[in-house]
Amino acid sequence: MVQSEIDTIVAETTPRGRGGVGVVRISGPKTCDIAKQILKKIPPARQGQYLSFLDNQGNCIDEGIALLFKAPHSFTGEDVLELQGHGSPIIMDCLVKTAVAAGARLAMPGEFSLRAFLNNKLDLLQAEAISDLINANSLQAARGALRSLQGVFSEMVNTLVADLINLRMYVEATIDFPEEEIDFLSDGKIEKKLNTILDTVKQIRVRAEQGALMSSGINVAIIGRPNAGKSSLLNALSGYDRAIVTDIPGTTRDVLRESIVMDGLLVQLVDTAGLRMDADIVEKEGIQRALKEIGIADHIILVVDGTKTSETHPDKLFPEWIESFPAGIGITVLYNKIDKLNISANRQEQPGYTVLSVSIKTGEGLDALKAHLKKAVGFSSEEGEIVARRRHLEALKIAEHHLLQGHQQLVEFKAGELLAEELRQAQLALDQITGKFTTDDLLGKIFSEFCIGK
Amino acid sequence: MNYEKKFDVIVIGGGHAGTEAALAAARMGANTLLLTHNIGTVGEMSCNPAIGGIGKGHLVKEIDAMGGAMGRAADQGGIQFKILNRSKGPAVRATRAQADRVLYKQAIRNVVENQPNLSFFQQAVDDLIVENACVQGVVTQGGIRFYAKAVVLTTGTFLGGKIHLGDRNYAGGRAGDPPSIALANRLRELPFRVGRLKTGTPPRIDGRTIDFSILEPQRGDEPAPYFSFSRQTRFHPQQVACHITHTNKKTHEIIANNLNRSPLFSGAIEGIGPRYCPSIEDKITRFAERDAHQIFIEPEGLETHEVYPNGISTSLPFDVQFALVRSIRGLENAHITRAGYAIEYDYFDPRDLKPTLETRALSALFFAGQINGTTGYEEAAAQGLLAGMNAACLSLEKAPWVPKRSESYLGVLVDDLITLGTKEPYRMFTSRAEYRLILREDNADYRLTPIARQYGLVSDSEWQAFEEKMEAIEQESQRLHNLWVRPNTSVATHLETVLDKPLERETRALDLLKRPELHYADLVLAEGKSLGVSDPLVAEQIEVRVKYAGYIDAQGKEVARNERHESLRLPQGINYANVSGLSNEILEKLTCVQPETLGQAARIPGVTPAAISLLLVYLKKRGHLRDAERNLA
Repeated sequence: MVQSEIDTIVAETTPRGRGGVGVVRISGPKTCDIAKQILKKIPPARQGQYLSFLDNQGNCIDEGIALLFKAPHSFTGEDVLELQGHGSPIIMDCLVKTAVAAGARLAMPGEFSLRAFLNNKLDLLQAEAISDLINANSLQAARGALRSLQGVFSEMVNTLVADLINLRMYVEATIDFPEEEIDFLSDGKIEKKLNTILDTVKQIRVRAEQGALMSSGINVAIIGRPNAGKSSLLNALSGYDRAIVTDIPGTTRDVLRESIVMDGLLVQLVDTAGLRMDADIVEKEGIQRALKEIGIADHIILVVDGTKTSETHPDKLFPEWIESFPAGIGITVLYNKIDKLNISANRQEQPGYTVLSVSIKTGEGLDALKAHLKKAVGFSSEEGEIVARRRHLEALKIAEHHLLQGHQQLVEFKAGELLAEELRQAQLALDQITGKFTTDDLLGKIFSEFCIGK
Repeated sequence: MNYEKKFDVIVIGGGHAGTEAALAAARMGANTLLLTHNIGTVGEMSCNPAIGGIGKGHLVKEIDAMGGAMGRAADQGGIQFKILNRSKGPAVRATRAQADRVLYKQAIRNVVENQPNLSFFQQAVDDLIVENACVQGVVTQGGIRFYAKAVVLTTGTFLGGKIHLGDRNYAGGRAGDPPSIALANRLRELPFRVGRLKTGTPPRIDGRTIDFSILEPQRGDEPAPYFSFSRQTRFHPQQVACHITHTNKKTHEIIANNLNRSPLFSGAIEGIGPRYCPSIEDKITRFAERDAHQIFIEPEGLETHEVYPNGISTSLPFDVQFALVRSIRGLENAHITRAGYAIEYDYFDPRDLKPTLETRALSALFFAGQINGTTGYEEAAAQGLLAGMNAACLSLEKAPWVPKRSESYLGVLVDDLITLGTKEPYRMFTSRAEYRLILREDNADYRLTPIARQYGLVSDSEWQAFEEKMEAIEQESQRLHNLWVRPNTSVATHLETVLDKPLERETRALDLLKRPELHYADLVLAEGKSLGVSDPLVAEQIEVRVKYAGYIDAQGKEVARNERHESLRLPQGINYANVSGLSNEILEKLTCVQPETLGQAARIPGVTPAAISLLLVYLKKRGHLRDAERNLA
């Protein structure tokens, strides 16, 4: 693999999954090579051309406008290719995947802007804005990654990483402590462990590829004090009695989910336990889960019982929880039970949040809520689950490649130190999913597992 | 009184770090003074009588490639040599020697005494002379003031040293030596972060009271390898065997019954010991399921009966040591000549150092060895070489040398220390080196001798030998590249007795060497004519380069990719609070470490790629990025 000095990066630059047009941007020295592969030609600079977009097998993914900008006359100051196609998540994902196969890597959050800034394409005055953007996008990417890692996928990846660390522990211990009567390379265990890991990677890749687009949608967390009407809202929006609704505060002790489709937009509603500091143990568990849900939400609905308070400021309503909210997340305060207050549905825009007065019981104001939600989450530019899943898939692919190489080094050449190198590279790739695993961590594992030392 | 002459460099301490530091400074032409409390113990091996090992042997070769003394002394004092990991690939092979303490010390003493520009003086140092946050010299116990442009401190375990033997403890720098208390107190007044570490030794035994006939002997390699590339030593001393025995259930029972008398468990020891060199009481506690632990009986020298039972380091009271030793097979009648003990000592947080090993707080003051939280002769000597070299650079007004992780184990060692700090005594392992495949023992000279030459660390004759070796590698590689082996020729038939698969088409001899089963010697043999090179080190280089070519290239590319961040120096004294967007946690870490380069910043655990981007934005905004460095994202 020939690496140029500067990586070529790719990302979808339009909000994910919605809208008629989607744009994929590629920037860096390999841009023209990638253009040749996807478009079968290098389009003339600064002239939009209507072309077929091909994947790496030559199949047509989509047709659309291709625009090439030559360095330094581009947004980033590097060669830039923009592919404008249909905004379907599947098409966008295919285009990104093809660009990666042709030598690009997935852009890090805010990376196009960072490059533009470093290449004097943006004003120095914009430096603060760039910092904010990098931070905001990183937070969003982290949330996307967290969401991508929910459920079975997470379990399988965790198993994979744990097995890999365990294997590396044996291999590295054999290399660094040859006099400790622990030569694992010569027995068959290592190969067996390696085969298990290879199987797991393959399984995850297949399942993740299939599921990559399935669970994409918007996560809306419904939270509020006990008995404010959260479960009723979930029921009202999803159309049947999903949550137990009673007048006893704290009834919803677990997290309830419901997927609804609002005008083609998949919305996952998550109803959480009531937020109370003085909750009992069972409910505390529910609150922990609620906080977890809040961490991965795109939008938060705070349900307030209008008969109990006239306060609508989130900071004042939930002073003890507000810090758990993701930075910059959209918040809608649902001022409920207006039927009992004899006021009509209305809407107030405040800095950082919106207040909607509704009656979940009568349904008054709920249409306005749906419209508001669509607007609020429909145009966010955040890096979502698909991108996160794509990152994970690329990482898994690289890891699998190194694991296969390592297998060959072990089985054909009995080269333990080269197996070790391939395993290290595999781990580096997986670090992108799980966070850094350092040599110190590895040595710690070795010393806790084996009695090392004369 | 003031000593009449001002030195370029003063080195305090005559251990492995101190001697390499003084020698390096003197080789570079700096007028150097080695100050030690006892000239008689220069080059002393205070712990086990061995040099080298996995990772450590790599350091010895690097020291040697830069003209240092350790490898040569080990060649002269070594009484058993082994290549560890011989059955594994060249990157992880490492040389180790059991050394005769007396011969080793003599060899070091000999080099030190004959080194031009180097003088010694025997007296303990009590104080540093500091003016304007710059060290000017030192004051000895006797009140003599020595002035110098740079001072290297290599205090080993002597700073605030406290020896533990059972429930008794007393101040000591090493068994039989006084600690440095005055200097320790003085240093604690200075703005360094200080901590306590612990290390230990096993009891020594009179070999005449051991029944070797029932123990498994472990012999060295034949022919015995050499550490030194210069091969000034033509012959090793007489070679002897080590022996292996094991602890047993009874041993473990004795220890378990007396754990309450161990200072490790009573709380008397606060310093942290190394996890990879645990005391025997630690081993049986942490690995209670094992009913035997290996013990290597290592000879202390040719002229002594004393042996070093490696594997039972302990601070238990003497009566327990006595009982546990005698419970071991072969040692039933053993006579202990010296009791084992643990020692606690001061070290300074190495994150307060620059990568030159100069302290941040006081200029012209350098630290090397255990004072920086490391353990091991080799780690100490390597740091000594670097500190002495950079102290000389400072006094001679030359640019300092900062070794890179991609260039040497020395670079890994220093970068780890200044970036991560250490909580336990730091020891080198090959797994610490991400570029392990290019940082091999066999190419240490290729990696470092040219650098050492630039700084005046290697002599003309050493340099000439190096150039000849490189030339021979180049020529022979070229010859093999141009040499075609055709199927169905006598050479091919000859080779096919070794090759797994027969030759299918005409192949360059050099490419044939890629096959793991084929060695250079087979190739030359098959040629029939003695056209090959006779120097086995040249042959080894050719073969390793060919066999590892793919991985060497891949690691080279990884180095190149990282180089952009590695070479981007961060301006000194950045106030990280001014970098917008950094989280408090990352801000704290960057402030604590004060990284020198963007690459180092990225290696601090917890520092995210986003934080590195934010740093880039900050640097750009402040005009710290030159045009050549702008494409750094």
